Amino acid sequence: MQLKDRLGSSDKNLRRVRRKVEDVKGLSITSLLDVLTIILVFLIKNVSTEAVKISAEPGIRYPSTITNDAIMEKAEATPVKIFTDKIVLGNESLVFGHPQELIMNPDKRKAILDYLRMEANAIYNNKADDIEACLIIQADNFIPCEYVSEMVAIGTSVGYTHIYFATLEDADWLQKESLATR
Amino acid sequence: MAHYRPSEMRQQKAQTAPQEPNLVPIMNLFLTIIPFMLMLVVISQVALVALNFSQGEGGGGSAGGGGGGKEVEKVELIILDPQYAEKFGFLGFEIREPGMDSAKLPAIGQEYNFVALDKRIKDIRNRKADLIDITVTVYPNVLYRDLIRTIDLCKANGFTQVHYTRPTARFY
Repeated sequence: MQLKDRLGSSDKNLRRVRRKVEDVKGLSITSLLDVLTIILVFLIKNVSTEAVKISAEPGIRYPSTITNDAIMEKAEATPVKIFTDKIVLGNESLVFGHPQELIMNPDKRKAILDYLRMEANAIYNNKADDIEACLIIQADNFIPCEYVSEMVAIGTSVGYTHIYFATLEDADWLQKESLATR
Repeated sequence: MAHYRPSEMRQQKAQTAPQEPNLVPIMNLFLTIIPFMLMLVVISQVALVALNFSQGEGGGGSAGGGGGGKEVEKVELIILDPQYAEKFGFLGFEIREPGMDSAKLPAIGQEYNFVALDKRIKDIRNRKADLIDITVTVYPNVLYRDLIRTIDLCKANGFTQVHYTRPTARFY
């Protein structure tokens, strides 16, 4: 407004010449594209193509192992999570009571057996002929083996041919152990 | 000397600044793929220890791979629990090897001696290079961590066929 007023005045000394506005250039997205390419390469490298996905449970303290066995190519897994206070089965995360009930309560044991049998049958009936049903046991470090053995026994009795124990890979656990026992 | 031809310049097109390729479609593609891949990516590093029960003894918690009709020579590794220790005064590992006296590896306090176990398994491996079968018998009150560590040491030392059993005789 001020400028207009000034331009409109008769005083030639106050007259200003408006500069020609330069065209705004398009935003360069080349650098952004570079970043995205790097992320994409990283993701492609890390992405898992395995049919079975295992995610670490925050409430479970996993044992460390040097070994890391690969899961079978044609496997369909049923997860079994044994926490210190509960047993969780299947992809639906159904709670099947306290681990102690696996030993003490025949009804609970029967319920677990029936559920795993149903899951194993579903795997063998719905999938290809050469598919193998496997059980992935994720148990807490401080669970007595009694519960794990019972779960393995139930699993193998209903047709699970491969049992996997979820751990955390640590190639140095034995060295750390030897330092601790000195 | 070059010959001057006035019509030569008329054939040449006016030079323009090189245009940048249109990156917007590529950007769109990337922006679609990246969230999808982020969903698939597995961040946590969960390892697996496998036991094969497909041809094993089956049932009752005892099973293992290999075997078939032929009797396979096996080393037996027993993990004794505190209940056993209360009764018999020994906590630790017992190793039974065909043709050898059974060896006992006592625990240090309440902790199993995995360093000694590793050494022992390496000795067996050196003596019997072809042997791949080992049976791990675990007492009920042994902690899951100790079982997995024992199986891990067996596998790390070349015993690829680990058979997992429970003791047939229990002491109450």
